[in-house]
Amino acid sequence: MSAPLAGEGGTPPAKRVPALIVTHADLAEALVRAAERVVGSIEDVTLLSNEGLSRDDLQDAIEGCVKDWKEGGLLLTDFWGGSCHTCGSAAARRHGEVVIVTGINLPLLLDYLHNRDRLSAPELAERLQQKGRDSIRVQRGVPA
Amino acid sequence: MSWALHRIDDRLIHGQVLVAWGARLDPARIWVVDDGVAASAWERDLFREAAPGIEVRVASVAEAAAAHAEEASAPRAAFLLVRDLGTARKLADAGAHVEEWNVGGLHYAPGKEKVNDYVYLDDQDREDAKALLSAGARLIVQDVPASRPQPLGALDPALAP
Repeated sequence: MSAPLAGEGGTPPAKRVPALIVTHADLAEALVRAAERVVGSIEDVTLLSNEGLSRDDLQDAIEGCVKDWKEGGLLLTDFWGGSCHTCGSAAARRHGEVVIVTGINLPLLLDYLHNRDRLSAPELAERLQQKGRDSIRVQRGVPA
Repeated sequence: MSWALHRIDDRLIHGQVLVAWGARLDPARIWVVDDGVAASAWERDLFREAAPGIEVRVASVAEAAAAHAEEASAPRAAFLLVRDLGTARKLADAGAHVEEWNVGGLHYAPGKEKVNDYVYLDDQDREDAKALLSAGARLIVQDVPASRPQPLGALDPALAP
């Protein structure tokens, strides 16, 4: 992982919103690997899998990642109601500025990377919810 | 349909329950039976919001035991989730008649021995399991519908019949 992405208009990042991605299996790692193919190396994103973890252990692991976020951050998880989300929600309640976005996909992750140096965590979360939804489109095949 | 699944899983509501078992059995209601969760306002809210489209009832063991027979005659399917064998045993002791428990996830903690990838037991767990078995309940290890169900006694020599 090398230099951070440039901020909008080449300005240095003022307050980068950190992110923790928590998913089943190695989805988080694969998403970041895929994103790196698009934008180059990525910094300041922490990855966690729920693999083999009890509720308490997963919650502790998430809390260990977010406790040092002095000015908030984003918790990105795979789906609503899964252990990554509910344990994240439990861990986040002791850290007020942590905002959770469920249903992470690659366009959402890329949009986070492009905007994390200019928006606050709550602003980013609103934007990513819309971006993730808008990114799902259907194109029907044309019969031959 | 009524009771469609009684599950022992330390994660309570989570992906396997909602997505895998939920798609198969289509529950209208999920009971989270746990004295600790029932006593905590924020934990109650956490689980109530965890399953969009499904009613989640968070109940103490005593409340769930009292309502158990009535739910058995409800028109649509219901799930009941407890976090450990001890809670399942308490529910049985409180009068809930459960013929079969799905053992779906008892993860590693210090002092627990591996039974398979998602079931780890200590002496207290085994004591609770024996009490449930001797009361006539079946304990079936199966994380998701696609995997093979196996009696806990077939996987753990200490619980072999």
